[in-house]
Amino acid sequence: MVFNSYTFMVFFAVMLFLHNLPLPWKVKKINLLIASYIFYAAWNPPFILLLWLATIVDYFVGRRLYTEPNKHKRKLLLIISLIGNLGMLVFFKYGTFLLENFTHLVNAMGMHYQPAKPNIILPAGISFYTFTTLCYTIDMYKRRSEPIRSLLDFSLFVTFFPHLVAGPIVRPPQLVPQFESPRTANHKQLMQGLLLVSLGLFMKVVLADSMLAEPANTVFNSKEALNGLDAWMGVLAFSGQIFFDFAGYSTCAIGVAACLGFVLPENFLYPYAATGFSDFWRRWHITLSAWLRDYLYIPLGGNRKGAFRTYINLMITMLLGGLWHGANWTFVVWGALHGFYLMAEKFIQDLKPKYALQENTVLETPIAMSGIAAPRFLKTLPSSNFLYALFTFFLVNVTWVFFRAPDFTSAWRMLASMFGAVHNGAVLLSNLSIIKVCIITVGMLATHWYMRNRRVLGVAEKLPWWVLGLIWSAMLILLILSQESSSTFIYFQF
Amino acid sequence: MLTSSFSRAGILMLIIVLAFFVGWEIHLRNKGIKIAYDDGESLWADKRAMVYEAADKATVFIGSSRNKFDLDIATWQKLTGDHAIQLAIEGNSPLPVLADLAADENFKGKLVIDVTEGLFFSTSPKNIAEPSKRVAYYKKRTPAQRFSFLVNHQLENGLVFLNKDHLSLNALLEEIPIPRRKGVFALPNGCPMDFNPCNFERQCIMTDRFEKDTTIQKQVTGLWDFYRSVSKDPPANAAKTDSMIAIIHKDIDKIKARGGKVIFVRSPSSGPYWEGEQRGFPRALYWEKILATTGVNGIHFKDYPAIDHFICPEFSHLKQSDAIVYTQNLAKILEQEKGWKFAKSPITSN
Repeated sequence: MVFNSYTFMVFFAVMLFLHNLPLPWKVKKINLLIASYIFYAAWNPPFILLLWLATIVDYFVGRRLYTEPNKHKRKLLLIISLIGNLGMLVFFKYGTFLLENFTHLVNAMGMHYQPAKPNIILPAGISFYTFTTLCYTIDMYKRRSEPIRSLLDFSLFVTFFPHLVAGPIVRPPQLVPQFESPRTANHKQLMQGLLLVSLGLFMKVVLADSMLAEPANTVFNSKEALNGLDAWMGVLAFSGQIFFDFAGYSTCAIGVAACLGFVLPENFLYPYAATGFSDFWRRWHITLSAWLRDYLYIPLGGNRKGAFRTYINLMITMLLGGLWHGANWTFVVWGALHGFYLMAEKFIQDLKPKYALQENTVLETPIAMSGIAAPRFLKTLPSSNFLYALFTFFLVNVTWVFFRAPDFTSAWRMLASMFGAVHNGAVLLSNLSIIKVCIITVGMLATHWYMRNRRVLGVAEKLPWWVLGLIWSAMLILLILSQESSSTFIYFQF
Repeated sequence: MLTSSFSRAGILMLIIVLAFFVGWEIHLRNKGIKIAYDDGESLWADKRAMVYEAADKATVFIGSSRNKFDLDIATWQKLTGDHAIQLAIEGNSPLPVLADLAADENFKGKLVIDVTEGLFFSTSPKNIAEPSKRVAYYKKRTPAQRFSFLVNHQLENGLVFLNKDHLSLNALLEEIPIPRRKGVFALPNGCPMDFNPCNFERQCIMTDRFEKDTTIQKQVTGLWDFYRSVSKDPPANAAKTDSMIAIIHKDIDKIKARGGKVIFVRSPSSGPYWEGEQRGFPRALYWEKILATTGVNGIHFKDYPAIDHFICPEFSHLKQSDAIVYTQNLAKILEQEKGWKFAKSPITSN
C-alpha cells in the first residue's frame, strides 16, 4: 500500500493503537512484523513469498558467514547469497531489458531471433529490500558487526513497513538495536512524527502530484519538438516532481517510524542547494549513495589507488547507480553524466591544489561518494556559493532529461528544445501551468538554500507554536483539497 | 498539560482544519451543490467486477455518455428487477470494453451497446485510451486500492466538497481568470458542474438549474462546437469501418457463443447535433451496416414514436424526466420486440 491512501490511514491508525497497548515487547514486534507483511501483500500478495525467501536465506547464510572458520566455505556462502539476492533482482528488474539487448545484438550479427515478449511484473521495492539484505550479508562476511540473533528481529529489520518499499535503505546497526528494547513514541515524538507525515504527504500529493505531474507529463509525453519555454518548464516541473515525490515518501517513512518510536536515517537534505555534485550526492537519496560508497566504490578501491583509478571507480559506481534506477540505457546515461560531473570536480580539485577542499562542517556524517567537495574558490562568498548551487541545479536538470525521457530520441529532442536548436516548437503548457512551475521552483530553491544547513524539526521547534500550527493547517487543507489519492510513488518502480 | 510547541500547534491545526472544512461544506451545500462521486477508474472497476452476476438478474451497459444520462437506473431496476451495471465512459469509444468483456470467459450476461457514431467509429487513439486504461486498472487493482475505494465511498456519501472534477485544488485554480496562452489547446470554459454530476451507479443527472438555465446549456453546446472544430481525426473510410465492424463482430460472437445476449442501441440526440450526425454518419453506412454484419438486433430511437421526440437541452443527452420515459420504453421494447427476459416484466410492472 502507499502512504497517500485511505487504506494506509486506516492501517496506520490500527498500528498506532496496537503499538501503544500494554503488551509485551515481543508481541508488539510480532504485530509490527505481521503488519509489515500485510502492508506489502496489500499490493500484490504472491510477491510476499520472495520477501520471505530473501529473509530466510539471508538470516541463515548470514549467521554461517560470521561463524564459519573455513575461508573457502565462507566465500562460497557469500557467492550463494549474492546469486540469490542479485539473481532475483536481475530476473525481475532486468530480465526483459537483458533479453531485448541480447535480441538486438544477435540480430545485429545477422541472426534472426525474435523471442516471445516476457511478461515480468516487478515486485514493489525489490531494489530496496535487496540492498538492505545484501549489506547485512556482506557485513557478516567481513565480520563488521555481530549477526542478528533473533529471526524475528532480522525479519523485522528487512520488512519494517516504513522503509520496506522505497527506503531509506537501512543498515543493521541503524535499526536492529532499536528492536532490542521496548519503544513507543512519547507525546512530543508522536506530534513530530505526525508533522513529518503531513509534510511528506503535502510534498507528494499537493506539490508532486497535483501541481507538477501534469506539466511534466505533458512535456515529456510530447512527440513534437517544443518551444524552449515549454521544454524548460517541463524539465523544472519534473525536477520538482521527483524531489517532492521521493523526498515526500522518505519524510513520511521517517514520520511514520517516529510515531511508533523508531528512528530512520535521513534520506534527503535539500539537494537543490548543493554546491557541486559530491555535495549533491550527500543530499540526494543519501542512504543509496552511502550504500554505493561502502559496498561498491570503496571495494573497487575508492580513491586509494591513484587519480586515474579514482575516476574509473567513480564512473563505474555512477553507471551502476544509474542502472539501479531502471532497466533502460537512458538511466545508464543519467548515471554516466553524474559520474562525469563528479570526475570533473575531482579533476579541478587535483589540478589546482591551492583550491583546497572545504570540508562540510555542518553535516555530521560526510557521506560523499568520493569524499571530495566543491573547490574553495567557488565557496568563499555566500553569493558565489549560491551561484554555484544554481549552476549545479542547472546541470542536474540536464541529467533529469535522460532520467525522465522514455528513450534517447525523446531526450535529444528535449535537449534540442531546451537549448534553442528548435524554431517554432510546439506550445503546450497553459499560463497557469507555467505560473505553478515558476512559483514552486523558486519556492523550492529558496527553501533548499535557507534550509541547507538546518533540519526541519529544528526549525519547526523554534517557530512560535501558533505559526507552526498555521503552516501545518495550510498544508493539511491543501492536501485534503487536492483530492489526489493513491497515485504510486515514482521510486516504487525502481 | 501540553508543554510541547508541537502539541499546541497540532491542536491549533486540528481546530483550523476542522473549521475550514465545516465552513466549506456548509457554504457549498448552501449554494445547492449536491453529493457527486468521482467517476474515475476505481468506481468503474467496482462496476466492472459486477458483470458476473446471473444473466437473468443483471444487464451490462457500455457506450459513451448518452448511456450514462439516458438510462435512468432506478427506473430500469424498478421495472425489470434487473441490476443495471453501467460501464459506459463519456467521450470515449466502448470498443476496448467490448473487447475486454468478449475476452472474459466468465461473462455470459446481457449486454446493451450504445452507439454514438462519432465515438464508436472513431479512428483516433485518444478515444480508446481512457477505456483501455480503465480495463488495465481493473485487471491490476490491488487489495489496498479496493479498500481505499470502500473508504472513499463512505466519505463521498457524506461530503459535498469531495468532488474532484469541480472542487479539487486544481479545479479551483482553473477558475482563476488567467489569460490564455496563444497556441495552447484548452477547453473554452470547462464543463459546468451542473451538467454531469454522477451518482454511485455511474448515472449522470443534469441539475434542475442546468435544465432551466440556457446560459449554462450554451456553455456545453459551445464545448461540442469546440470539440468538432479541433477534431483532427481522419475520416473513417469504408475499409477502416469494415475492419472495425469485423472486430466487433468477432467480439460479439464470442459473447453469444457463451450464451450471452447483445443488442445495439442508438440513443436520442436532437437539434443541430442530430443533423450533424446524420450528415457525418449516414444511417445506411453505419447503423444498418453494423446490424447487418454482426447479425445483432438494434434499437434506433427514430424507429419508435415513444422515444423519437425528446429535445436534449444541449442536443446530445436527456434530462432526467425524459430519461425516465426513455428507460421505460427501452425496457418494454427489449421485452416485447426483442424477446429479452428480465427478472420482472417491464410491461406488467409499469
